[in-house]
Amino acid sequence: MNVIEVEGLRKEFKSYSSRSGLKGAFRDLFTRNYKTLRAVDDISLHVKQGEMVGYIGENGAGKSTTIKMLTGILTPTAGNVTVNGMNPHKEREKFVRTIGVVFGQRSQLWWDIAVQESFRLLKKVYKVSDEEYETHMKEVIRTLEIEPLLDKPVRKLSLGQRMRCELAAALIHNPPLLFLDEPTIGLDVLVKMKIRGFLKEINRKYKTTILLTTHDLADIEALCDRVVLLDEGKIIYDGRLDELQKNWVEGKQVHFEFQHPVDKPALEEISREYPVIWRQGERVNQWVATIDGEDDTVSKLMSVVMLHHAISDVKLNKVSTEEIIRNIYEEGIKHG
Amino acid sequence: MGNFSMYVEMIRIRFLMMLAYRTNYYSGILIYSINIGAYYFLWQAIYGTQESIQGMSVSQMTTYVAIAWMARAFYFNNIDREISQEIQDGKVAVEMIRPYHYLGVKTMQGLGEGLFRLLFFSVPGMIIIWLAFPIDFSNQWSVWALFFLSIIFSFIVNTQLNLITGILTFFLMYNTGLIRAKRVVIDLFSGLLLPISFYPLWAQDVMGYLPFQAISYIPSMIFTGGFVGSEIYSAIGIQIFWSVLLIIPIQALWMLAKRQLIVQGG
Amino acid sequence: MYYFSIFFQYAAQYLKTRMSYREDLVVELISDLLFQAVNLIFILVVFGHTTLLNGWNREEIIFIYGFFLVPYAIFSSFFNIWDFNERYIVKGEMDRILTRPIHSLFQIIIERMELESMFGVVTGLVIMFYAGSQLGLTLHWYDPFVFLLMVIGGAFIYAGIFICLAAISFWSDSKTDIMPMMYNIGNYGRYPVDIYNQVIRFVLTWILPFAFVGVYPAAFFLGRTEWYGYAFLTPVMGVVFLTIAYFMWNAGVKKYRGAGN
Repeated sequence: MNVIEVEGLRKEFKSYSSRSGLKGAFRDLFTRNYKTLRAVDDISLHVKQGEMVGYIGENGAGKSTTIKMLTGILTPTAGNVTVNGMNPHKEREKFVRTIGVVFGQRSQLWWDIAVQESFRLLKKVYKVSDEEYETHMKEVIRTLEIEPLLDKPVRKLSLGQRMRCELAAALIHNPPLLFLDEPTIGLDVLVKMKIRGFLKEINRKYKTTILLTTHDLADIEALCDRVVLLDEGKIIYDGRLDELQKNWVEGKQVHFEFQHPVDKPALEEISREYPVIWRQGERVNQWVATIDGEDDTVSKLMSVVMLHHAISDVKLNKVSTEEIIRNIYEEGIKHG
Repeated sequence: MGNFSMYVEMIRIRFLMMLAYRTNYYSGILIYSINIGAYYFLWQAIYGTQESIQGMSVSQMTTYVAIAWMARAFYFNNIDREISQEIQDGKVAVEMIRPYHYLGVKTMQGLGEGLFRLLFFSVPGMIIIWLAFPIDFSNQWSVWALFFLSIIFSFIVNTQLNLITGILTFFLMYNTGLIRAKRVVIDLFSGLLLPISFYPLWAQDVMGYLPFQAISYIPSMIFTGGFVGSEIYSAIGIQIFWSVLLIIPIQALWMLAKRQLIVQGG
Repeated sequence: MYYFSIFFQYAAQYLKTRMSYREDLVVELISDLLFQAVNLIFILVVFGHTTLLNGWNREEIIFIYGFFLVPYAIFSSFFNIWDFNERYIVKGEMDRILTRPIHSLFQIIIERMELESMFGVVTGLVIMFYAGSQLGLTLHWYDPFVFLLMVIGGAFIYAGIFICLAAISFWSDSKTDIMPMMYNIGNYGRYPVDIYNQVIRFVLTWILPFAFVGVYPAAFFLGRTEWYGYAFLTPVMGVVFLTIAYFMWNAGVKKYRGAGN
């Protein structure tokens, strides 16, 4: 059975553009220029029980808007949404009992009171029985290592501590479906790893379905088998992560660090026999070659380049997911 | 004075922001008109058959109420609440490292708001009121000039009091109560609701020692002709006195607040 | 039942938090008292210069004010939503509210309650009893019940108006200062409405019916029979306005645009 079923989902926002200057602002008092913006544009999506799905897109691609429609916060302009067998917006109060939501930039907890007081309040709100709470939350608290934080007020916690508490709070009623909007934003690597480990754990144990948006692709790589790529409100890729990696670019990436400044035409000139794309690296005199071909071609290219230009360092990599996604956004999808 | 153009820019931005809030604008005019209208009838009823109370005729009183509300549109601002909010959100620490004086910026924002309301609120509002109710407008240009001079000081004194209440947030966790209390006190003791000359004499004496009369009573009395000749100048003198004196507690509190900020790290 | 238990949970939590900032609580109570005193002072000063306000004497006007304080105290304890737009819409807290299994309006009420405002009930009753005894009013057996009905009606009217105003934020994304200004309008319902002209009287009776949270219901206890019809409309108006507000709120939630769009 599908936990999430979305068909032709669309969300439009009406907004007005301000005229410039004082005179323009004065005219705006009487008439305004309205325009309609399509934040989510005919999306269809199906998610099965126990899946972990990464939802990726640039800022303003419509990620948050989709999540907000799936959680019942926003009403869709058009389309059908069924989550956990319900229409999120129509049966909101009943529906939200079956989901957990974490917004990375927004707190679910009460600022002034101790964490455990917040938990107790939420326990009442979600009508969780004492036994359920005991067995389930004890484990959550232990795994997230938040025991020592429970009697501190939220405002005294660090971001990483708070985030772990947020996660625990979202799981008080042990929901079968979890929405995470940027759960690792601003956290250090250790906390990120702890959170990833925890999410894997609950997914394995309770078959919790997880839909996750993030800017950190390492989260996706660590957790999700399936990714959905969003661009300007449309889904441009929906499938397995490893397939994306395989289909998008077969081949390798070579990072050259030259001793002297080199320009693109010169590099293209010496490597014109090979199927290679050059781009400037992040460091000075660094150039990255993406090659489509056999290992043999790669070594030939390397020797040709080294013959013409003195290098200080060279690195051979598989193309990273981040690179793939950047390419997709820059050049559009070619294979998938 | 190198910062002058920056402050002007801040006034302009605030001005634009105010223009962008359309519902605010229309509802504001409506609500101010209802306020003045209601007070007009209330005072009519209070006067009943009496010709004058405390030397003020009904039409002077009506004018007093109308001009007091319209002047309020200019001097009134919410910077106390804004400062308090920014302190609680921890934004003030960031503002401290910017190359301007935080309190100066807040004052300029208040001024932008005030100028906006004066031009787009009070002027059209005054025309509506003038058409609807019998109001005496002075035809002496000197009265108008002195009135405008006087409301500049109203703005300064009121804003100074707002700054003080705002900064006090550093020392009180929640100061919504204080902010509200201040607003209530100003409404009552500034002469917005009642001319100070209506109070019993002992109360008038007490209010003479307080800065609140500088906010509303003085400009309104100048406009309605309640003050004449040298009374006007001594009244403006009182306003100037308070404008200068209030700088002291503001600076003192601000220094303490900055120290507190360093100790607590925001 | 569920809503009751949630309410008490929140109230308990609220008291706990409030008690940890005791100085602020004191300032709050003093500012409330000041707020209540201001209007009383206005009445006293005005009656220093006149004996009758359109046929109503000082004690009657004070009595109306005392009555007003009671529903107003209840309203301000539970409907502290004048900054709803800033707090919930602009800052996006509404997102969080909508992910919880309780009606959104109820959540905001219990999150924002300020129980200390209930102190106004005491002030109001004291003022009423003082003015009542000055006027030589007698208490009938049914008066407390009628009083309760009127108070609830009045609180509902206030709540209804302010919920409607808050709900506007769902449609218009810009900030508004309407609500703070509306508190002023509420004051005018405390004077005999026949001093105003037709338009203002109509507004205070049917559009922003603040007269039902002041002069109309108080007229019943003052034995002003000519106003009885309006007096008994108070609970009806309360229910009508709260119902309208409830539906307007629900319609507004559907229009909610979310923060940061």
